[in-house]
Amino acid sequence: MKKTLIIFLKELKDSLRDRRTVFMMIALPLIMMYVFSNIAIKMQMRQVVKSKERTLTVALITNSNAEDFKTTISKRSDMTLKLNIDEENAKKMIEQDQLDFAIVFPANFDEIQKEYKSGSVSVYYKNSRDIEIAKERISKMLDDYKKDILNKRLTEKQLDQAFINPIEVNSIDLATAKERIGEVLGGMLPYIFIIFCFMGAMYPAIDLAAGEKERKTIETLLSSPASRMQIVLGKFLVVVLAGITSAVVSIVGLFLAFKGVKEIPQKGLEMILRLVETKSVLLTLSLLVPLCVFLAAMLLSLSIYAKSYKEAQSIVAPMNIVVIIPALIGMMPGIKLTTTTALIPILNVSLATKEIVSGTIKMGLLIEVYAALFILAAVGIWFCTMWFKREDVIFRGM
Amino acid sequence: MIIVDHLSKSFSLSRKQRTEMASTSKSIMAVDDVSFTCKPGEIFTLLGPNGAGKSTTLRILATMLKPTSGSVRVAGFDTVKEAEKVRGKIGFLTNTTALYDRLTPTEIVKYYADLHGMDNRRFEERKRKLFELLGIDEFANRRIGKLSAGMKQKVSIARTIIHDPEVVVFDEPTVGLDVITARNIIQLIRDCKKEGKTVIFSTHIMGEVSLLSDEMAIIHNGKLLYNSSFDNFLKQMKSRTIEDEFIRMVGGEA
Repeated sequence: MKKTLIIFLKELKDSLRDRRTVFMMIALPLIMMYVFSNIAIKMQMRQVVKSKERTLTVALITNSNAEDFKTTISKRSDMTLKLNIDEENAKKMIEQDQLDFAIVFPANFDEIQKEYKSGSVSVYYKNSRDIEIAKERISKMLDDYKKDILNKRLTEKQLDQAFINPIEVNSIDLATAKERIGEVLGGMLPYIFIIFCFMGAMYPAIDLAAGEKERKTIETLLSSPASRMQIVLGKFLVVVLAGITSAVVSIVGLFLAFKGVKEIPQKGLEMILRLVETKSVLLTLSLLVPLCVFLAAMLLSLSIYAKSYKEAQSIVAPMNIVVIIPALIGMMPGIKLTTTTALIPILNVSLATKEIVSGTIKMGLLIEVYAALFILAAVGIWFCTMWFKREDVIFRGM
Repeated sequence: MIIVDHLSKSFSLSRKQRTEMASTSKSIMAVDDVSFTCKPGEIFTLLGPNGAGKSTTLRILATMLKPTSGSVRVAGFDTVKEAEKVRGKIGFLTNTTALYDRLTPTEIVKYYADLHGMDNRRFEERKRKLFELLGIDEFANRRIGKLSAGMKQKVSIARTIIHDPEVVVFDEPTVGLDVITARNIIQLIRDCKKEGKTVIFSTHIMGEVSLLSDEMAIIHNGKLLYNSSFDNFLKQMKSRTIEDEFIRMVGGEA
């Protein structure tokens, strides 16, 4: 145990003096997460603001009805009104992006209103994210108009508001905002963690095994009283630590980016901050630790097999894809944590994190994920130590 | 004391290696039934051309490789059954300085002292002595990467003997070094002998053999061709020079 610690401390010191390792482990995740999150947030905000402020071109086809509505809409500065277009033309113009909306009142709308019946108003538009935000403005106007008519009707019939409202329903959306954000951001977070964890662990793993072989220091180390097991574990702990540090630093970058943006509405900010609340972060990290142990074992095993630093790099590079694919699958909507997916490494961490962030994780499945990860990590360490004991591996190319 | 008893080591060959070597056999004998003894206070030279099996033999001595058959005892311990104890007794030096570029001489020497479980007082004492003797003090806290080859070799020597090992193993220690640096190593080997350590070193340089050897063995294609004292070797020579005699023995033209 003491020798493992000696090796660990030496390898840690050695790695921290390696600019490439430190850059990949700390600077890169911090800068990348900070910059990319900032860009993503800014772009998103600009998009929203743009759609909210943009002047809409709206065709209004009233067929000489709803004069009140026409007056209201013509007063709006954020809408250019087109009045002399028929319904068919309006539809074509929307398809050709010459119009944003067409609001069509039926020919007998005013008559229907006099009979206290319901008249249907059609709103034509071409759906896109951009229009979705702008549509809120049109809906709001129509809603206000509806309320006006309703109030008029109630006054005419001398009825109270409560008459049409026998039950006041306090509807509470159970798919909370947290849950919805969890779906989106929660899918992305583990992906980011896993990739940075891998990248941060990659250089120390290459340097501490293949690098040691290339510099021929491995012979001297192997002839020291430290056992192979102690040597592997010492190196291994440094690789694990590097991977976790890298992942944690990427969260810090993300957090800083969100904190730095002032334009985020208070409500949105609160939700995002709740995402990185201590409990979620700790739970996610606890999932990341065994995964990182497994990745470290894999990286170190590949690295010690390589003859040189360069060969190690070319062996490890394709592993990036092996790691990214299950993490990517976890980002796809509709893929849920089940008793089966809980057993698939990387994917299970990705899915479990998603559920942890949205607060819907089931205890049983979480335990299954932990069990799968711990077994995997244990097998990883066992394989790595066995691998280090093999003469044909350690002395390959020497 | 090192006792090598009927030592053999074979390596299996991959298909690629077999084609490269135009061989049909699935394995190659790197060391083939080799026996010899190195006594304390004597310098034992393992002489042989490249690929003779010198490094393999020395790696087995240092417990890095396991013998296929036969056994080796170093300082009274079996290299397979008591590998860790053997490693505690030896110092191992190769021609590559095998140092970590990002550490300083002090840190490297301390690292190996710690692995050998030396207490701080003994380490400091030994370090002071070695650093002064080798002239390391002036660059003791500079990174290895910034040192010259000669300086590195000195640090390597200090690293090898910091724990005052009973047995010292040198694997072609002077290959690729300039004359002055090579002299440092020759001096170190002599000092080790004076201190009563068991010294074994491998080389293919005849000059070093005549400078240092008490006992010697010639190894070629894994087989032991000669094993006796250096004086006897000189007496039985059939060729004019040591070099010619060596070439004659390994079956070349001389």
